Amino acid sequence: MRRAAIGALAAVVVSAPWLVAALVPRQQRYVLHVLVFTALFAALALSYDLVVGHVGSLSLAHPAFFGVGAYTAALLATRAGWPFLGALIGAALAAGVVAALVGVPLFRLTEHAFAVGTLGLALVASVVANNWVEVTRGPLCITEIPKPVLGVPGGPALAITTLPGHYWLALAALAAVVLLYRGLTTFRLGRAFHAVRDNEPLAGAAGIDPLKYRLLAFTIAATVAGGVGALYVHYLSVMCPEEMTVALTVNLLVIVFLGGVGSLRGVLVGAVLFTALPEVLRLAPTWRLVIYGTLLLLVVVRSPEGLESLLRRAAR
Amino acid sequence: MTPIADLLEQLLHGLTLGAMYAMVAAGLALMLGVARLINFAHGEFFMLGAYAFWLGYSELGLPYPIAALLAPAVMVIFGIVYQHTVIRAILPRSWHVQLIATLATSIVLTNLAIIVLGTQPKEVPTTLSARILEVGGFRIAWQRLLVLVAALVIFWGLDRFVARTRTGRAMRAMSQNREACAVVGVDVQRVTLVTFALSAGLAAVAATLVSPLFNIFPDMGTVLTLKAFAAVVAGGFGYVNGAIAASFLIGITEALAGSYISYAYKDAIAFVIMIAVLLWRPQGLFGRRIGI
Amino acid sequence: MALLEVHGLVKHFIGVTAVDGVDLAVERGELVSLIGPNGSGKTTLFNCVTGYLAADAGRVLFRGRDVTNAAPHRVARLGVARTFQQVSVFPRLSALENLLVFLQQHQEERLLSRLLRTRRLRRLEAEAVERAHRLLELVGLSGKADAGAGTLSYGQRKLLAFAAALMPDPELLLLDEPAAAVNPTMINQMKEHILRLHGQGKTVVLVEHNMDVVMDISQRVVVLDHGQKIAEGSPQTIRRDARVIEAYFGR
Repeated sequence: MRRAAIGALAAVVVSAPWLVAALVPRQQRYVLHVLVFTALFAALALSYDLVVGHVGSLSLAHPAFFGVGAYTAALLATRAGWPFLGALIGAALAAGVVAALVGVPLFRLTEHAFAVGTLGLALVASVVANNWVEVTRGPLCITEIPKPVLGVPGGPALAITTLPGHYWLALAALAAVVLLYRGLTTFRLGRAFHAVRDNEPLAGAAGIDPLKYRLLAFTIAATVAGGVGALYVHYLSVMCPEEMTVALTVNLLVIVFLGGVGSLRGVLVGAVLFTALPEVLRLAPTWRLVIYGTLLLLVVVRSPEGLESLLRRAAR
Repeated sequence: MTPIADLLEQLLHGLTLGAMYAMVAAGLALMLGVARLINFAHGEFFMLGAYAFWLGYSELGLPYPIAALLAPAVMVIFGIVYQHTVIRAILPRSWHVQLIATLATSIVLTNLAIIVLGTQPKEVPTTLSARILEVGGFRIAWQRLLVLVAALVIFWGLDRFVARTRTGRAMRAMSQNREACAVVGVDVQRVTLVTFALSAGLAAVAATLVSPLFNIFPDMGTVLTLKAFAAVVAGGFGYVNGAIAASFLIGITEALAGSYISYAYKDAIAFVIMIAVLLWRPQGLFGRRIGI
Repeated sequence: MALLEVHGLVKHFIGVTAVDGVDLAVERGELVSLIGPNGSGKTTLFNCVTGYLAADAGRVLFRGRDVTNAAPHRVARLGVARTFQQVSVFPRLSALENLLVFLQQHQEERLLSRLLRTRRLRRLEAEAVERAHRLLELVGLSGKADAGAGTLSYGQRKLLAFAAALMPDPELLLLDEPAAAVNPTMINQMKEHILRLHGQGKTVVLVEHNMDVVMDISQRVVVLDHGQKIAEGSPQTIRRDARVIEAYFGR
């Protein structure tokens, strides 16, 4: 039954471009665009949840890693002329390396101090993006980033030019992130992560090095965020400093905390709700942030596990 | 201008910045010490205080001293309301909840301010900020002198308050052992409330003092919270006088770096200092202390 | 060479010296109790030995290896298991997982094999599950294997924490107040468990306030007061030691 439901859902998700064409032919482009964004945000939110939900470190630096990946990919593709896959891998690695380097001093901070330190990092990254004009072009943005072409040099190549193509690419990336997420958060690794999250001193007594596992989750999450950043700029063809502000953190916090911390299903539901909904409602960014902030405030104060636990409670 | 006079002016500018950061950081450190809470919305106290001052001084045309007293009074009330609506609900909860709740408050306040007041920065020049004191080729606005003198008086008063008054001593005791305080009959709720009101008031005082010198805009709070927090970390997590000292260090470094190295990156200085302190002296510049 | 050697250990807190130059040697297979009035430094000593607190002076040797100020997970992997006074479990893991997590770090920790779940790893996991079930049965928690540890009663969590400490088959077991705050039946159970371990040749050190338990099962008792070792010997000699009586009742 459950398997059948998941199969049906997967079929709907994969065939979405045709469904959209059949159901809302007039707004096909717009709806597909929202779907691409939803898939990319879902992947980004899952990577964020690896840190927040599974090792319990409230990092606010995710936009920085997303930005490092996005700018690396943009620069590799425009200035160095790298092929898409090369730029993607380079972007992911760059973000991962930055995370591993800054993670060492940042994890000297615990709990809320860590959160503030990471927020500081995000701020520094955004200052750099705005001001390092020789590299990032600052507020002028990096433009004319080529559309992705799948394939290796010399071999057959598949250019992604259509919106459905972008959608399937984003969906494939999301599927890969889901698999990685499952692999990391279940079985022995997941158990070690959760042990660190739930009781750090006891994790030490169990032979777990808390710092190592925190750093591992942080670095992997940043690597994924960098990869998503690469996909993002190759889709939009442009990268601006505004893409990596605190507003992105708020978005991720809302998706993760209102969807369900540490829950694959919760985060996916959150990503759909909070990426698609404001688009459909055509909310101005400031109003969206006011509403998100209020929602976040209400939900964390009333139910810290997010919608997931609300749903579970309602089902009972 | 001679290089020496230029250096002196930058130092003075740094002291002004430092005084501003210190008044915000002291409030953060107080809340952290007494309530074990990091208030991400603290910079917004400053922002709201600045707008309250702008409203009183520029829009309603009140004289400076009255507007400068009115803004902190408004923010003290705001601090009390904040304590009653948000803080009281989250104090018994995990730090995750506290952090997200205060961050969410900060986002809501910032964006409401954008909606209501617009993103256009406001200027509030006063007679004191326009009047310049000139001593041997060295020029300083009277407002800056006022900031420095007022900051000294405030920090001295704060120190006396914490050391001498009943409430101040209760705050210190709570920063050392909250549970024991509840047991021996300290009114934990009341002391927490006073701490929040005091912290909000301090931020607003800073706002009324420096607003005549700098522009006011809705999203200035976030960066300020972060810099003040960098000072709190560098000063030894929750140790108020350490946070004040670290604030001046950050302010001066920022002014000098902004003038001699790179203006664009001056906002990053506080974090460079914080990270450096964490790497070399994780216990803070002044060693680990217990209590505020 | 003793299994565990502590030489001149010192730990200061602000204003107090919690452990003041303690020497201690525990031989392989011994059952030693550490007693003393509240605040005499017993738990602090445990925390220094297991890496939870950095000692200000002195050395700790385990199997002749210097482990002074080694991180807790390093000490644990060398074969020192400990329990905590404040009963400590992973509340959001099931009872079974609570045990599994204590063994897995001793086996295989490479990221890739964990991600790919190699055949070898799955075999190790199956063995671990089997061992965990045996230990759950031993402490009478078989029926609770899949229950969230956070949902168990205080006594059950205490037994679970004890079983978890046994998972990696440690050479040295440090138990911090195993008999505190539980009912008499469970105290007897705990006594039996400890004696059984001792019978199997395990080395056990316990911090305990319950004198009946201490006098009943210990081979040797070490008494701390104000961070200093004031007496050491068999339960019989300790019972009659003037300094011990003074420390406990003289104030």
